[in-house]
Amino acid sequence: MFLLQQIINGIAQGSIYALMAMGTAMIIGIVGLVSFVQGEVIMIGAFAGYFVYCFIWSNFLFALFAGFAASWVMGIVIEKMCYKPFRRSPREIALICTIGLSILLKSLAQIVFGTQQKLMPDVLGAKYFAFGTIRISYIQILIIGIVILFSWGLQLLFYRTKVGISIRAVSMDKDAAALLGINVNRTILLGNSIACAFGGVAGVLLGIYYNSVHPIMGATASMKAFTAAVFGGLGSIPGAAIGGLLLGVLENLGVAFLSSGYRDIISFGILILVLIIKPSGIMGRKGEL
Amino acid sequence: MRKFITENKKVLLIALMVLLIVLPKLLNNDYYIRVAVSVLLYVVLASSLNVINGYSGQFNIGHAGFYCVGAYTAGILATRFGISFWLLLPLSGIMASLFSCLLGVPTARLKGIYLAITTLGFSEIIRLTILNWTSLTRGPMGIPGIPFPTLFGFRLTTNTHFYYIILAIAVIMLFATNRVLNSRIGRAWIAIREDETAARSMGVATFKYKLLNLIYGTFWAGVAGAFYAFFASYISADSFILDEGFSMLAMVLVGGQGTLAGPVIGATFLTVLPEIFRSMAQFRLVIFGAAILLTMYIRPQGIVGSGMLSKKYSEQKKSDKKQDKTGAKEAV
Repeated sequence: MFLLQQIINGIAQGSIYALMAMGTAMIIGIVGLVSFVQGEVIMIGAFAGYFVYCFIWSNFLFALFAGFAASWVMGIVIEKMCYKPFRRSPREIALICTIGLSILLKSLAQIVFGTQQKLMPDVLGAKYFAFGTIRISYIQILIIGIVILFSWGLQLLFYRTKVGISIRAVSMDKDAAALLGINVNRTILLGNSIACAFGGVAGVLLGIYYNSVHPIMGATASMKAFTAAVFGGLGSIPGAAIGGLLLGVLENLGVAFLSSGYRDIISFGILILVLIIKPSGIMGRKGEL
Repeated sequence: MRKFITENKKVLLIALMVLLIVLPKLLNNDYYIRVAVSVLLYVVLASSLNVINGYSGQFNIGHAGFYCVGAYTAGILATRFGISFWLLLPLSGIMASLFSCLLGVPTARLKGIYLAITTLGFSEIIRLTILNWTSLTRGPMGIPGIPFPTLFGFRLTTNTHFYYIILAIAVIMLFATNRVLNSRIGRAWIAIREDETAARSMGVATFKYKLLNLIYGTFWAGVAGAFYAFFASYISADSFILDEGFSMLAMVLVGGQGTLAGPVIGATFLTVLPEIFRSMAQFRLVIFGAAILLTMYIRPQGIVGSGMLSKKYSEQKKSDKKQDKTGAKEAV
């Protein structure tokens, strides 16, 4: 019973990781590098959700939308600042730029928002369904539902729309896509914004789940997103989703046997183990990145 | 100016050395000497990071993690077992190297980005472990009362004493690094940086040399950590947050990675600058982040960067321009 409870908690938490990991995997696919600023995008999304919920309109969906919009804008800014000017330069330059921007944004956030963590109110109250001793809270159901909705939306976008097909084409081969008449610059801009928006929504969900937002929440969040993406096979979006869920479950099981202070340490251990045993991940192809 | 420097290299180096030795007398102010100590400490840290990032093309972002391992090794062994400072310097370095193997073995066979993320994670994880493992590290309370080091029965207590210790460490470190870089090992590192596949096909054992590079770089971070533990005489996990690693990275990048002088200049510049603008202390990291971005826009090879790395970059730029002229309009 106790184990089952932990697994349910793990799935709820893992679906947030899955959402973040899908964003990370999309950026790796379409931009071709790991974005270090993704953690700050998640943080900004979370703060946008927090401020809108607490000070403008206490509507849960509106907070999600605010997180989505804020990080979408961040996606545009990042593309214009870090990726576009260096598209033809060595990879490291764009990578270092994302690190620079990440430092800048994180320390600015600490000055603007203060270093204390902010308490996010319960959006649905602390209600839950009880099945015997197992509890599933409304929040958990809501989070899982939203993540499923977003994954489904992404699936539709990628396989049913022209935009999605061009995003996939650009991820495979930029030059060939350009030859076939796809506007590569615009597609990268759009793909990056979508990926960042996923991160932002995940940030709001994190804030709701833990009831707090913090200016330096981005570092561990992006680490988890990367771990989940590696777990599933770097660059594979369905893999990232599965990796996120598995990471959430394993982490919660680990916390159940140790203590909650070791949460991040467990997920780091998982990353190292995956890199030793199977660096290509669950669904990744060999020889990528 | 570059020509003048290369022609009179020896004279200039001796002059600089003499200046550094008499510096405490010239400054004659405890606060300034303390700043000088932290400048030299960051010179050691940034140079050791530069060995990894600048010479072998691996990407270490969480250098603070290894610095932290060194400091805690020294702190714990000195307070519990009373081991001498001089023994702890290499011991902490070895400890940091062991931890770098832990990260290097799984990632050195893969592309650089894996090491980047693992070091970033490691830096955060080591801090969390210290906070949680109270029985060993006293957790959030930190380790106070690390004793002053002694030399031939003479207790080293003032900032001036520490200034000479860190000066010696920095000089030894730079000298050793210079020797290593001009040896077979250093050339192998540079070959790996320029093109890993080509290096491997020329018979360079890339895995071995990448790991060796990581071990060498983190060893000095550990030594610096041990020095810091004795210098501050109190350590806590708060001194080794991610920002610390980011500062070192900023120093290397702004100064110019892949050069010996680059990180020295970067560390001096970025340590003295916030001291001058003391009132804007909270903007320190904002400035560092902006400095990294600006460097990448204006001069990707850094202030003094030149040589191999910039050649790689400048050739890239030339081919860009050609491409832009011929086919950019149709392609985009």
